[in-house]
Amino acid sequence: MALLKLAVRNLLRNRRRTVITLVALVAGVGAMVAIKGFILGQRRQILENQMRGTLGALQVHKKGYVENVLGSPLTLDFADTPELRAKVAAVKGVKAVSPRIEFGAQVSTPDKKPAPEDGSDLPEADRGATSFLMMTAFDPALEQVVTPQRWEWVQWGRGQMLESGTAEQVLLNDDFAKGVEVPLWKAGTALPPLEQRLAILAPDRDSSLNGVNVVMVGTLASATPNDRRVGVMSLGAAQTLLRMEGRVTEYGLDLVEGAPLEATRDAVAAALGPDFEVHTWEQRIPFVKDIVETQDFVFGIVSSIFLFVVLLGVVNAMLMSVLERVREIGTMLAVGMRRRQIVSLFIGEGIVLGLIGGSIGALLGFAWVSYMNAHGISIPAPGAKVPSLLRPSVDLLFVGRAILQATAGAALASLWPAWRASRLRPVEALAHT
Amino acid sequence: MAHLIELSGIKKSYQLGMTEVVALRGVDLFIDVGEFTVVTGPSGSGKTTLLNIIGCLDRASGGKYVLDGIDVSNKDFDDLADVRNQKIGFIFQNFNLIPVLNVAENIEFPCAVRQNPEEAGALRARVEKLAEAVGLKEYLHHKPDELSGGQRQRVAIARALITTPRLVLADEPTANLDSKTSEQIIDLMLELNRNQGVTFLFSTHDPRVVQHARRALQIRDGQMVDGALAH
Ligand SMILES: Nc1ncnc2c1ncn2[C@@H]1O[C@H](COP(=O)(O)OP(=O)(O)OP(=O)(O)O)[C@@H](O)[C@H]1O
Ligand SMILES: [Mg+2]
Repeated sequence: MALLKLAVRNLLRNRRRTVITLVALVAGVGAMVAIKGFILGQRRQILENQMRGTLGALQVHKKGYVENVLGSPLTLDFADTPELRAKVAAVKGVKAVSPRIEFGAQVSTPDKKPAPEDGSDLPEADRGATSFLMMTAFDPALEQVVTPQRWEWVQWGRGQMLESGTAEQVLLNDDFAKGVEVPLWKAGTALPPLEQRLAILAPDRDSSLNGVNVVMVGTLASATPNDRRVGVMSLGAAQTLLRMEGRVTEYGLDLVEGAPLEATRDAVAAALGPDFEVHTWEQRIPFVKDIVETQDFVFGIVSSIFLFVVLLGVVNAMLMSVLERVREIGTMLAVGMRRRQIVSLFIGEGIVLGLIGGSIGALLGFAWVSYMNAHGISIPAPGAKVPSLLRPSVDLLFVGRAILQATAGAALASLWPAWRASRLRPVEALAHT
Repeated sequence: MAHLIELSGIKKSYQLGMTEVVALRGVDLFIDVGEFTVVTGPSGSGKTTLLNIIGCLDRASGGKYVLDGIDVSNKDFDDLADVRNQKIGFIFQNFNLIPVLNVAENIEFPCAVRQNPEEAGALRARVEKLAEAVGLKEYLHHKPDELSGGQRQRVAIARALITTPRLVLADEPTANLDSKTSEQIIDLMLELNRNQGVTFLFSTHDPRVVQHARRALQIRDGQMVDGALAH
């Protein structure tokens, strides 16, 4: 189209101005894409830590469990049968099921020295410590699919993951374990004598206290806020301790990639009937959802301001361009160009500016995001202590939308200059010097 | 036969603050197809004002103007744009070429911006023919800033003719040219008038140009003093 050709040539005419406007567009749109990528990467990081590290996408409990969660009620448990697992696993969108028990426990570390032979008390400093912890018991073989992030945390900690669902083993928070000097047992070596093992004490369903001696095979690096007094334990050992053979308090579920969270939750709930309740991870940790909403809100405002400032630059450039070309516009009107065509010409210039600046900016931003996605930025997730890899990411839809926004915005920014150009009266425009 | 241009009682006044500047005080003028007419007069006498009204670039404050049988006094902005595009060619004192377009594109511009432009090949053929007629065959791909003043005005003449207008208006077309080039431009316009029957109306200060004109009008203080109705 002739007008478009004219628009492009006019942009090439005052190269410096065009380049400055383009640089602003490139920087604005590029930064928008990069920031969005960073935010999404950070969100993913939080998700990994929360959903993929402790909860799983969905959680199944006995009805009423979540309301009473603070009491970690072992009475609200259910029988973990192969049929029940199969029923849950058969729901469309469910990828894996991992049975768990959540319970509160006291952990006592062994005394550091044997008791004195004379029968006197061991000095305070040499005595073991007792602390209260929240324990999660699971079978590592099943849990790994649902919360793979725990394995990452072991890597950042010490030792290794629990060996099997029945071994009398625990993993404790790394900071906590260091603080109370819990000895680390290296898997495969000879077990220490009983008095040198940890003692886990927990009330069972009937509130009678039971105990078991365990070894700590590894530690978990802190990755989320408030995870210092948290430990994990083999499911079989916990069931024996709590007198809950064949019973659990929850199922953690992983979903197949792309399965809708809420719809799958409802489908699982429907399959299980009224004795059970099913929650999404978002429902269990609403603060993440708050973070997401706040981030989206702030990003919306920041990117609007970015775009506004950049587009003011476009308005300015287009206005200058109109003022410089008054006589030329007069000539065009004189030879019969219509007002609408003058408007189109200048909006066309805006569109070309927006499209080029927006595309270069979006692609540069996307290139940065892709590069960083491949390499990862090693920083702690919000609230975490250990660094994890933040991998920025944006989808191409967002990149496309950023280009579209820049283009539409630049067209809009040209509207007023274009309108002013079209309202020029030919006689006066031709007389303009 | 009706005249190509019929002006009767054309008035034009400008409001400058509190005072009213009267530029045309009732001009009557007929111009026929094929004429080659010059308007002369002292500075400020109203030549440009008259040509702007005849060119449908400006409206008269009073009087009646019929162009090629059409009363243009009450047409709206876009209708006037169409009248200009189809019936009138313009040649300006300072050439007014579009700097980003080359010679060929400048010449074809009035046709290219039409709502339904003709086929590009046919248009380009006409452009080349016209460029040859004004002696710019070799310069089709040059930009205006690569041309001399005389060459630029030749481009403007070709651009004015591409629409095969009923009338070509030229306000002081030679004012920015040296005398030798002016002579050549006037010769070119005379030749186009003689060979192709193009109707020219132009204004000038230059007495040597007036010698060539077939018909000379004089305007003084917004009024025709000589030759307006005479043939
Ligand atoms: N836009 C305007 N506003 C006010 N007065 C104007 C305007 N245009 C022209 N005039 C006045 O109208 C009168 C005629 O001006 P015009 O430009 O038609 O004269 P001209 O014969 O073309 O003069 P020149 O030979 O200097 O080009 C002058 O007095 C001029 O000051
Ligand atoms: Mg004048």
